Amino acid sequence: MTPFIRSMFVVARRDFLAIVATPTFLLFLLAPLFMVAMGLAGGVGASQLADSARGAGRIVVVADPADIEALRASDQRLRTGMTREPAPLDIRIVGPANVDPVAIAREKGSDTYAVMSGPLTAPRIVEREKGSSAGRYLALLAGDAQRARAAGPMPSITPDFEALSSGGTSIAVQQSLGFGAVFIIFLLTLLLAGQTVSSLAEEKGNKVIEILAAAVPLESVFLGKLLGMLGVAVLFIAFWMIVAMGGGLIAATQVDPAAIAAAGKAGKATAALASMPATGWPFFLGIGFAYFILSFLLLGAVFLGIGAQAGSVREIQMLSLPITIFQVGMFSLSAAAASAPGSGLAHFAQIFPFSSPLAMAARAATDDAKAVHLLALGWQAIWVALVIFLSVRLFRSGVLSGGSGWKFWSRNKAVAPAAAAAQAASSQSH
Amino acid sequence: MNDFSVEANGLTKYFGNYKAVDHVSLAVPTGSIYGVLGPNGAGKTTSLRMTLGIIDPDAGTSRLFGGQRPQSVRHRIGYLPEERGLYPGMKAREAIAFMGALRGLDWSEGRRRAAGFMTELGLERVIDEKIRKMSKGMAQMIQLIGSIVHAPDLIVLDEPFSGLDPVNQERLEMLVRRERDRGATILFSTHVMAHAERLCDRIAIIARSARRFEGTVDEARALLPMQVRYTPRTAGDPAAVAANLPAGAELRGDAWHFAIQDADVEPLLARITASGHGVTGLSISRPALHDAFVHIVRQVDAGFDADATEDAVEEASA
Repeated sequence: MTPFIRSMFVVARRDFLAIVATPTFLLFLLAPLFMVAMGLAGGVGASQLADSARGAGRIVVVADPADIEALRASDQRLRTGMTREPAPLDIRIVGPANVDPVAIAREKGSDTYAVMSGPLTAPRIVEREKGSSAGRYLALLAGDAQRARAAGPMPSITPDFEALSSGGTSIAVQQSLGFGAVFIIFLLTLLLAGQTVSSLAEEKGNKVIEILAAAVPLESVFLGKLLGMLGVAVLFIAFWMIVAMGGGLIAATQVDPAAIAAAGKAGKATAALASMPATGWPFFLGIGFAYFILSFLLLGAVFLGIGAQAGSVREIQMLSLPITIFQVGMFSLSAAAASAPGSGLAHFAQIFPFSSPLAMAARAATDDAKAVHLLALGWQAIWVALVIFLSVRLFRSGVLSGGSGWKFWSRNKAVAPAAAAAQAASSQSH
Repeated sequence: MNDFSVEANGLTKYFGNYKAVDHVSLAVPTGSIYGVLGPNGAGKTTSLRMTLGIIDPDAGTSRLFGGQRPQSVRHRIGYLPEERGLYPGMKAREAIAFMGALRGLDWSEGRRRAAGFMTELGLERVIDEKIRKMSKGMAQMIQLIGSIVHAPDLIVLDEPFSGLDPVNQERLEMLVRRERDRGATILFSTHVMAHAERLCDRIAIIARSARRFEGTVDEARALLPMQVRYTPRTAGDPAAVAANLPAGAELRGDAWHFAIQDADVEPLLARITASGHGVTGLSISRPALHDAFVHIVRQVDAGFDADATEDAVEEASA
């Protein structure tokens, strides 16, 4: 091990232990639990709202008694074919009480989306919103009922549904897999990498920075700090992976396999799982993790460099907003790239160093080329090194050499008059 | 084999327009204890930092151990910065091992040596105590141990004595001498003359950003004439006694005080013996380093004051 690497690990080890061996870290580790709990509570509330609202909706047909059977049969047939099932159908017999469809539409107690009245050949449809799906459905219903009556009894059909067992090469699913990768990497870096901005503040506050600067190259201090934070991030992810897998195993033993299979047929998530990213699952997950690490290192290096220039905790707090916006910007760029693979925008996002890890992870979902990822990882690693190098240069020339002036932008202006004043004061005292 | 552990030449550093260090050169012989003395704000710390390559000089070079760049021999250097700093959450033993590890020492060996040093310095009580629970002086001793735990060849201490009680100052002096006996070269800065006078083989005095003196302690003291304190036996006419003494002799109580050049000692003794006023007390001594230091710094300041006055006059006339 070269001295550079060794001192880097000494710094990383110190940082990692100092972060992990505190009660605050436990809070940090368990913080997603609050998020999940809040999400669940919100989700339950929202679904209850939706349920109660759904029960209140209806569509109404005011029909001649002779048409009622035909309408009901048609409704049963058509209803299943709709992508979104229409509200329950309320069929009423024409009579003195049901003359005005507008009045029916305005009846209290339920949401009436559309009302059809009059003869089936020329129905009058009153709808709440112009061109609503409920209105169109009622028109379709009228037509179908007439057609069924004209054709007489029809032979029933018994379709045989057959799913493609590995048919998940759908481009849309792959794109959403890519987007999912972008989102997960973004979320993790947003949660974890932002902390690097304040990680040099500790050394500047307690003056250890001079010991470090004297003992080891600053590059290895910066890289070591970054590695320490990465260690914390990986620990965080590993912890939640284990929790999730443990939870999944427990759930699997509790739930009837048949129920899972039944749910699997309907669930879109399982459909995505059953499908494959273009590079295959093991490679996709592996490269996704690698891209997370590089995304963390890249953004972390930038934040570390910026944070190293900050003179006070307040300045670091002020920096957190632009940093978050920068991350969101990289996310938006990569998300746009993920939804348009192969476009110029996608290529830009893949080459631009700070969005490259996100965009390349998305590419792994849709493009089966593997060698390009090696190239991308190398390219991103070069940028990590470059950012660290520049941060150190700035830090050396600004903060360390500034003597009493800790801010790099004011060192030339502020220090000289202060020193001159000190000189004047000391010469007066003699 | 080069005889100097530190060779810094013409180090210069500007902070803005202010010249914090002006062509300071240091040559520290291997195996010696070397003191950099100077008033507050003279540029001692900046000079040491440039010597160690922590900050880059605007001009001049620093070479250690015979022509090596400071950055390439970090593991052979121990450094106690002026602004003390330790991680408050670390235990003393870990903090020392950490500083050793930064310089390439094995962690376990660092911990072992830490316990040894701390026991020796009367700190065994706090070996596993966290830094934040310690007094300032204790923490400083911990940091000092941390900067020498890897047995460096060059030890640079910036104001090591400030903030220590007399007992710990004594221990530190002992430690410095022992490190020197081990073969290390020690370079330290201070503005307390007593330590420099007791410890240093050579000193450099920095005032107003520039080096004003370099040499041994005795050479520094020799800058000023020797001080004589003479008490005659017979309380005769003071004017008669003064006639035998150099001009400027001053009577305080029973004793006369005056300065004398080295060559005048023997003639003076002859004159006193011959005068018949007798001798009840006579001491001829070199002034302390303290006086030499104050003398040098005052001279420099006087020069600057003259410049400043000229500037003021120019400004007033403009």
